[in-house]
Amino acid sequence: MLKCKINGVEVEVKEGTTIIEAFKIAGQKIAHYCWHPGLSVAGVCRLCMVEIKGQPRLQIACNTPVQDGMEITNQSEQVKETVRWGLDFHLINHPLDCPICDQAGECGLQDQYMEFGLYTPEMAEPKVKKHKVVDLGSKIVLDTERCILCSRCVRFTAEVTKTYELGIFNRGDRSEIGTFENKPLENNYALNTVDICPVGALTSKDFRFRQRVWYLQERESICTGCSTGCNIKIYFNEEGLFRIRPVYNEKVNGYWMCDEGRNIYKFVNKENRLLKAKKGRKGEWLEMEGGAAAKDVAHHFKSLDKERIALVVTGQFSNEEYEALFQFYKKNVGNDFVYHWINNKESFEDFDGLLLRGDRNPNTKGLLQKLEDYRYEQTWAHLEENLKAGKIETLIVAGPENPLWFPDLKEKVQQWGIQLSHLIWLSSAKVQAVDEVECLTWQIPLKTFFEKDGTYVNYQGLEQKSHRIATIVPGALSLSEAAHLMAGEEYKVDMAPILKGPKKNYYVHRRGYL
Amino acid sequence: MSIVHKDTPSTKWYLPGILSGMGLTIKKLFYNLFHRKKMPTLNYPEEKYEYSPRFKGNHVLTVKKDGSLRCTACMLCATNCPADCITIVAAEHEDPTVEKYPIHYEIDILRCVFCGFCEEACPVDAIRMGPEWQTPGLADDNFHYDIQRLAYRPQLKGGILSRVDDEERHQFGL
Ligand code: SF4
Ligand code: SF4
Ligand code: SF4
Ligand code: SF4
Ligand code: FES
Repeated sequence: MLKCKINGVEVEVKEGTTIIEAFKIAGQKIAHYCWHPGLSVAGVCRLCMVEIKGQPRLQIACNTPVQDGMEITNQSEQVKETVRWGLDFHLINHPLDCPICDQAGECGLQDQYMEFGLYTPEMAEPKVKKHKVVDLGSKIVLDTERCILCSRCVRFTAEVTKTYELGIFNRGDRSEIGTFENKPLENNYALNTVDICPVGALTSKDFRFRQRVWYLQERESICTGCSTGCNIKIYFNEEGLFRIRPVYNEKVNGYWMCDEGRNIYKFVNKENRLLKAKKGRKGEWLEMEGGAAAKDVAHHFKSLDKERIALVVTGQFSNEEYEALFQFYKKNVGNDFVYHWINNKESFEDFDGLLLRGDRNPNTKGLLQKLEDYRYEQTWAHLEENLKAGKIETLIVAGPENPLWFPDLKEKVQQWGIQLSHLIWLSSAKVQAVDEVECLTWQIPLKTFFEKDGTYVNYQGLEQKSHRIATIVPGALSLSEAAHLMAGEEYKVDMAPILKGPKKNYYVHRRGYL
Repeated sequence: MSIVHKDTPSTKWYLPGILSGMGLTIKKLFYNLFHRKKMPTLNYPEEKYEYSPRFKGNHVLTVKKDGSLRCTACMLCATNCPADCITIVAAEHEDPTVEKYPIHYEIDILRCVFCGFCEEACPVDAIRMGPEWQTPGLADDNFHYDIQRLAYRPQLKGGILSRVDDEERHQFGL
């Protein structure tokens, strides 16, 4: 362990720690652009200047290891002056189009300028014009004028994805970020470059111009896109959810997340949700509230033949919900016809080498554990057989939150619609096929991960808690609430605050990924 | 507001107050009858008072030389508006030098308090408070002014030119 003093604060750090890391440990502010904890050190922005006692020249903090007994400061006049003029150099050719820049509000240049800059520019020469609105494929737009050439994005594609799409072309003040032969940047982790870009040079097409960032609130959660369970931050406001970004978790995802996971917010928003419970069959639906529908199921349950009921579950729910559902099933039905619906059998074990796994369910591990606890050991083939033989009349389906990852969804539902006489469909997603079934059906809208508390077990067996944040569909139930109500119990449904009303200005400061 | 109760004979009794008031009214009546030119009131609506062009009345969205909207949909006006009455939906422009523009811009004029903060916030002189102040309407009128009304109403004669011009800025190397 090495002892050093950072701005007068004494800290102990491990051998090999750089000064900038020591600053972070000491909780001291330091200006920087090119350094990112998840990437190698480049030392190109020259903003992280510090003064070390006994050394005549200033050093960059990101590339200087701490030595025992160092006394380091970035509060001296000399450092402040250097940072200020360093910033001025960065801004010489910057277009300053903050009004139309998506990064405004969480921009490294804005933050650093307000904190370390505050000078009057002294550059009289015309700005060097570069390329604006460069299309980098289906996900990203590049603005080379705004780029400060920190090379974070280049290092990301070289070190993390190892796809080497991005590079710096030309020299001097004409240097630009670009892709070789203008090939698109299409890898599945490309949007991480948008996150780590300290300025608005790389912007995401999906989020571009849809909101100003100060209209968004942020809350942490767990990605339900696959069994990795990346830690995420959800950005939302009264109009819905708008984007998802990764949160650092050493054990799970590091600093990154995949681009497919960033789409899960779309399945929480109203457009893709089952908004009202319905009872009936094709062409004659009776709309009602979720709770009323669940109670109606409870009412009907008495008249159903218990030996001809079966339950289908997907790996999309939390441990608590499986527990409640199986309790309900054990008490009210009693047979062991419980089946695990595996959505993509062929690619279930796939892994792309970084984060994304073929198992597109957040809690398959948890489900398997619960199935084992309750000794439900039936295979899917058994269900098919029974259905064919007409041995099953009623099917309870705890269906997908994200129908996109259930390619056989439509086909299965159609098949069930013919083979069954009752279907109890529990799902948060709007599924066209369910609206067209011929048998008597209850559709009960469920809450998504955004609206309920729950524990998810990822592929490593790591339990992660996800907390409810707000309510998008007021009538929706969680699977446990639905189970309690279907059992005919008196049960009070608890709800997070509903998102409604005009969007508000949430002042954001230092939200960027610096 | 604080009310001061004076307990003097002139306030306690009815007539002194009434008579002094009537006296003032009659004095002004005769004065105005003989000095009609100096009379401060107007026969509205036949006669109208011209406000200064700097008066902060109904909003104007300014335009560029080619007649398209100057607004860049930065939403600073909407952020700054204390009455929360500006709604903007931004979109991607085909022209990369424009990049962002509003496809929908609406001011709920009944909520507006005419504070002028929107005008102050705008970085490109895209919104101004115009001198118009007489915009009454019937109950079923639309008081959500849209782009058509804010930028191209007939009174503006094809639109007001913004002071901020991108081409000029580019020429200066900005
Ligand atoms: S990158 Fe930052 S400083 Fe540059 S235009 Fe965008 S918000 Fe403004
Ligand atoms: S595009 Fe962004 S991340 Fe990449 S070099 Fe430029 S400023 Fe850095
Ligand atoms: S004048 Fe004031 S209240 Fe009216 S739109 Fe502008 S900022 Fe809002
Ligand atoms: S009127 Fe001005 S402040 Fe308002 S969105 Fe348009 S450019 Fe921005
Ligand atoms: S040079 Fe140290 S952060 Fe850029």
